[in-house]
Amino acid sequence: MSLVLEDLSISLHDDKFIAPFSMEIKGGEIVTLMGPSGSGKSTILQAIAGGLAAPFALSGRIYVKGVDVSQIDIAKRRIGRLFQDDLLFPHLTVGENLLFGMARGPREQRLALMRAALSDIELAGTEHRAPHTLSGGQRQRVALMRSLLAGPDAMLLDEPFSKLDEALRASMRELTFMNLAKRNTPTLLVTHDKADAPKGGHIFKIENGEVIYVR
Amino acid sequence: MGLPLVLLFIVPVLAVMLFMLQDATTLTGWLALFDHPQFGKALALSLFTGSVAGLAAFAASVFIACTLFQSGKLRGVALPLGAMLALPHLAFAVGFSFLIMPSGLIARLIALPLGWATPPQITTLHDPYGLALALALAAKETCFLLFVLLQALSREDKRLALTAQAKAAQALGHGNLSISTRIILPQLWPEIIWPLIIVFVYATSVVDMAAVLGPNQPPTLAGLVWSDINSARVENNLRGGAGALFLALACAGVMLVFWIMLKLSRQWRWNFFTCGPSTLSAPLWLAQLKWRGLSGMFIISGLLLVVMSLAQLWTFPALVPQGLGTMAWQQIVERPDALLTSLVLGVASAFVSLVILVAWFEAMPAKYDRVMLGLSLIFLGLPALSTGLGEYRLALHLGLTATWQGLFMAHLIPATAYMFIILAAPYRSFDVKWRAAANGLMANRWRFLTAVKWPLLKAPLVASSAIGFGVAFGQYVPAQLLAAGRFDTLTIEAVTLSSGGNRTLLAAFAFLLMLPPLLAFWLATWAGRQKWSAP
Repeated sequence: MSLVLEDLSISLHDDKFIAPFSMEIKGGEIVTLMGPSGSGKSTILQAIAGGLAAPFALSGRIYVKGVDVSQIDIAKRRIGRLFQDDLLFPHLTVGENLLFGMARGPREQRLALMRAALSDIELAGTEHRAPHTLSGGQRQRVALMRSLLAGPDAMLLDEPFSKLDEALRASMRELTFMNLAKRNTPTLLVTHDKADAPKGGHIFKIENGEVIYVR
Repeated sequence: MGLPLVLLFIVPVLAVMLFMLQDATTLTGWLALFDHPQFGKALALSLFTGSVAGLAAFAASVFIACTLFQSGKLRGVALPLGAMLALPHLAFAVGFSFLIMPSGLIARLIALPLGWATPPQITTLHDPYGLALALALAAKETCFLLFVLLQALSREDKRLALTAQAKAAQALGHGNLSISTRIILPQLWPEIIWPLIIVFVYATSVVDMAAVLGPNQPPTLAGLVWSDINSARVENNLRGGAGALFLALACAGVMLVFWIMLKLSRQWRWNFFTCGPSTLSAPLWLAQLKWRGLSGMFIISGLLLVVMSLAQLWTFPALVPQGLGTMAWQQIVERPDALLTSLVLGVASAFVSLVILVAWFEAMPAKYDRVMLGLSLIFLGLPALSTGLGEYRLALHLGLTATWQGLFMAHLIPATAYMFIILAAPYRSFDVKWRAAANGLMANRWRFLTAVKWPLLKAPLVASSAIGFGVAFGQYVPAQLLAAGRFDTLTIEAVTLSSGGNRTLLAAFAFLLMLPPLLAFWLATWAGRQKWSAP
């Protein structure tokens, strides 16, 4: 599994917003993209996910598992995303949220997977609870598991730890990285906090519209 | 200060409901109703047209609103939608009839390439299945439901939450159809369920549109009941009273069945929500095409009214009239009573409703709004035939039939109900910080209201007034009953003309019925525009 960005560039009203850059993220690898607010980090994620809208325009190629997905509909790209907010659907229970993204299949098998996932994040028994009855950290764990259960071929993390307090942040980071590595998912993490970047992983930063390799 | 609303709305509405039930105790009417040879078919027709119109309007409005919302193009429909909503049902029905009748515009457009010399021998108006009526109702009610959805989806908190959730669902592999039905609709359901009930009841019990477009032999149950109520024979009146009640019960019965089905479908809904991603997507152009088709139908219907009102000679299959004239308009100018009565009733109802509602909001704690909301929804959720009959009986009891006071009451009540529903949320959610700021500047209450609060609330105040005017202006059932032949309104004239052969005069009346609410809407849009930006 890999996520390859080839000569990707973004323009805004026909002006260059992000200069062309390339990047390859291998299965299980987490690459960090850093930059100040407004530098275009989230816009790059949006472009990769397929939701870039006017006045932005994208050029370049995006390969997921070797397949060019640049022109494919957003829902068919199989690129998962984790956001700053957990975005659990309020009208569904915790369990239903997990099942929502899970591939279709035999009911019992899917329910067993859902329950096992809740155990993995130490939330066993909460499947019938409404999302708003969980704490912020618990909700973010459910959101992570929901994304992973959808079985994405690549993952985009859009500052998912930024709204958690320091103690929760460290444990959530560990849980996220461990699960992504376990599933061999290529991941691009966007953050403005260097502490969020996995130790030893590659880091890029955005400076004046240029994506620069740091390490 | 809440007293005027209590006296002019709450007490009359309660009394109307009481008088509505007057016929429940007279067995003669019920027996005569069930013995009526057309009863069964008429009931089936009413339920069929109401259900088809309600479901079609629901499906179309949800599809258009949710697809355009996900594409960020929903705001563009707001302005034309407001105008379409302002158009009275009856005026639209008349314009629509000119579009679909065998010699109507659609047939003329087809006639040219196919070489037809005479109108086709098919029943497109007053068809026995009520399809023309159901289609027109579906188009008109799509506007109403779309408006409700637009209001909900435009609220900043809802808009941001649903936009973000849609993004998350996309990342989980769901296409826009799946997101519309699994994410957006369930969260809008509590807001759309009452309007949907109102639409269903309205479509099932409509009288004026049915007179223009609906089946005749047999008519819908509403049509049957309406002719009984207006009959000179007392036994027919009793049968009509029982029929109006039965129609309300039938609507309640259908809603009960719907509710039971909803409860029974719990497992199915659970499976639907949790069965996993579906990438099925509806193209944006399809939603836009549907929206443009709908708005185009309204524009063409409106234009047809103008052309038809001026057409002296317009033989088939000519696309434009061969001769134009202003005879119909001259007739109206010579006898402007109906127009003036409708205008006075519309303006007075909107103005008085606004005054008593604002007085209520200022004087009464918000917790009492539940009573008002409940009464308004129940009143609007009941068939107009039943409430109209209740109003008539109340007016009879008070000696107010064929008086200005009685006629005014019958127009004021529905206008107040609609205006309350529209105005309550923005008025009650007015930010208290402005009050604190005005207090700090030593402004008294009157100064605060006139210089700060009402100017800031100008948009909802004028918008609700425009809608109140439109609602009162377009009333038919209570107008006909309370006027008792002594007053003429535009709706009464238009329905009477719809059964005659003078299409030019009918078009002129329908156009007049359309114009003031449209002007009120444009005026409200212009007067309510924001000249400042939020801090």
